[in-house]
Amino acid sequence: MRLVVDIERLAVTVSQAIFDNRAKATVCDASMRSPKSRGIHKGNAMTTRKTILCDAADARIGVTLPGKQLARRGALRAVAIAGVAALLLGAAPFAARAAGPIKIGVLLPLSGNFAVLGQQALTGMKIYLDQVGNKAGDNPIELLVEDSQGKPDVAVTKARKLVQGEGAQVLTGVVSSGVALATNDYSRDNKVPLVLSADAGVTELTMPGPLANPYLVRTSQNGRAVGAVGADWAYKKGWRKVVTIGSDYAGGLDVDYAFGQEFCSLGGRVVQAEWSPIGTADFGPYLTNIDRTADAVIAFAPGADGLRLARQYSDFGLKGKLPVLDLFGTLVYEPNLPQLGDATLGMYSVLFYTPMLKTPENQSFVAEFKKRMHFMPANEGPNGYVGAEAIVDAVKAVNGDLSDTMKFMAALRAVKFDSPKGPISLDKYGQVIQPMYIRETEKVDGQTANVPIATYKSVDQFWPYTEAEYASFKYTYKDAKNAMTDCTRLLAKK
Amino acid sequence: MTWVIHILNGVAYGMLLFLIAAGLSLIYGLMKILNLTHGTFYLVGGYIGLTVMQTTGSFILALIASVLAMALLGAIIERFFLRRFHLDELPQTLLTFGFLFIFADLSLWIWGGNPLMLDEPEILQRSVPMGYYAYPVYRLFLIAVGLAVAGGLWWFQEKTRLGTMLRAGVDDAEIARALGINVSLLFTLVFAVGAALAALAGVLAGPVLSLYPGADFEVLILAFVVVIVGGLGSLRGALAGALLVGILDDFGKAFFPEFALFTVFVPMAVILVLRPTGLFGRR
Repeated sequence: MRLVVDIERLAVTVSQAIFDNRAKATVCDASMRSPKSRGIHKGNAMTTRKTILCDAADARIGVTLPGKQLARRGALRAVAIAGVAALLLGAAPFAARAAGPIKIGVLLPLSGNFAVLGQQALTGMKIYLDQVGNKAGDNPIELLVEDSQGKPDVAVTKARKLVQGEGAQVLTGVVSSGVALATNDYSRDNKVPLVLSADAGVTELTMPGPLANPYLVRTSQNGRAVGAVGADWAYKKGWRKVVTIGSDYAGGLDVDYAFGQEFCSLGGRVVQAEWSPIGTADFGPYLTNIDRTADAVIAFAPGADGLRLARQYSDFGLKGKLPVLDLFGTLVYEPNLPQLGDATLGMYSVLFYTPMLKTPENQSFVAEFKKRMHFMPANEGPNGYVGAEAIVDAVKAVNGDLSDTMKFMAALRAVKFDSPKGPISLDKYGQVIQPMYIRETEKVDGQTANVPIATYKSVDQFWPYTEAEYASFKYTYKDAKNAMTDCTRLLAKK
Repeated sequence: MTWVIHILNGVAYGMLLFLIAAGLSLIYGLMKILNLTHGTFYLVGGYIGLTVMQTTGSFILALIASVLAMALLGAIIERFFLRRFHLDELPQTLLTFGFLFIFADLSLWIWGGNPLMLDEPEILQRSVPMGYYAYPVYRLFLIAVGLAVAGGLWWFQEKTRLGTMLRAGVDDAEIARALGINVSLLFTLVFAVGAALAALAGVLAGPVLSLYPGADFEVLILAFVVVIVGGLGSLRGALAGALLVGILDDFGKAFFPEFALFTVFVPMAVILVLRPTGLFGRR
């Protein structure tokens, strides 16, 4: 195994080295080549070298320089560098000057375990952009897509490539929370607008605090709102004692904690909290241990875990005995439904979307998505669509002039439209305000589907609290493991 | 009753682990190849089973087709690739590592990235009531298959002529060759059988664990843990290791949930400290 690790490390180092060289050679952004910086370079040697490199590269693509200037810099050296640059760059694209299409840099996992999520989000974006003819008003839109592999380090490298190398003016996509945190730092440090349009539900990203970023908006969701809405509905359903099974990672803690907190504040209680590691193959031990006297099971298990949990729940004879409320629709995930047969019938779930919504926006979206992906959209498809729509609307609002970043951010935060997910708007922190749907899995035309049975209109990130109320709680989801079954702790104030 | 179910759970999971690890152990025992493609045989085998099941509706056919396909693939990989680097560990490991990636991408391309689940055969789609609980029949079936395969492999190794040759090859391949045993054919055969066992595990695990990109690597790691606990190259060790890991995993998750992430790896670390060669390893 050590060997394997070493080889992987070597491969990463080599590719990074190659890439770094390319990145260095491609940082010829507008400022580097602006007339001002073409002047005299007596300052720092590094800048001079970079500029020569840029100019040499420009020369290669046909930009002519005044002969005197070139001579002053040492023609030989420039030629040598041009040769090296040509070798390193190959056919690498150059940063365009301000004019031209609006370039949207898309960072999504297109290989590896999250590939299918990335592809859904990308499909959603493309459906919207095709619908508007790849134009925001009069400005053509160009999508620059990069594969983040779901890895934060790769994502930052790719973000740099997109922005500094290819001139992307907005970044969007993401999915993995780790990637979101890394990209958030990049966006804040470099003042690049970032639209989290796929998943990436880390609650604190859009709240005042160390992660707050004026260059960020999130049109997908956050973790806690779904949990809180689930709790409200569970209590109204008449459940008072519930068992939670949640994936054991920050996202799972966030969602389940929000559920527990809201459920307690209404008067219910979590009597047992189980945490399964991500990638749990066998849920047998957890299912065997479930307290059978509870009113319901509250589940959150994204990915293949959800598929297994749904099937094994039914295999262990729990289906029909203990009802399930699935936070985020992870067990009744649409692409999985056809494989689960009747195992999911009667399960309840809560999410900001269901393909069964009978709105014109959604029905045309679902038809197009099914045509392209051959399965029903779940969360990331509509998320990608909404993210693209938000960006296009904001570009239109600033008439295609993204040079004033803060003005563009203000335009982004002001977007408001009816989407496949329902009516969308953003709060002052850039977090989406959207409806939440309680769904029940039923047979529709012979196939299982998540039919909406209740709607919570415009749920914001602090729902049902005000920002001040939410901030007054003493503990956060990071204490979930000690607090889930303890209402006094969940509700403790500072 | 809870205890009975936990033990059944552990044994059923252990049997799956045994099926996965047995092939890896067999191959290492004879050829000293650390076969990183093993998880691939499991995943691709499972995917092929799924496709056959979806087109024919027969679980038995799915099993047969995937076992045969992976045995053939295993034989090809051994005959035309690994053969060139006999006892040369680094190129062998790299080669199998490369195949792991090639087939991972191919299956992502063919079967997509969504996790897929096989259906159990209809007779097994039930659960038996056990007091307040219910236990899925399919898992009992898994235990039976695991025991049958273990018994079959033992009989093959101990009671058949081929098995004797195999043991001779494990002990000393060169002397075995000098005695007129066709060791090279034996290598191909064992590699094919190892791949077939992994494919069997892939199809059988399909209805419980599901198939998805990345499962190949997860399964490979589990198989390594099992053979490290049991001792590389020993069938008995693979069985004991698999049962131990399966049961500890279940009990760990059920009674020490805080340590659920480590339940598989802690026993491995402890055994490596106390018995670096594993429970039944030699030397």
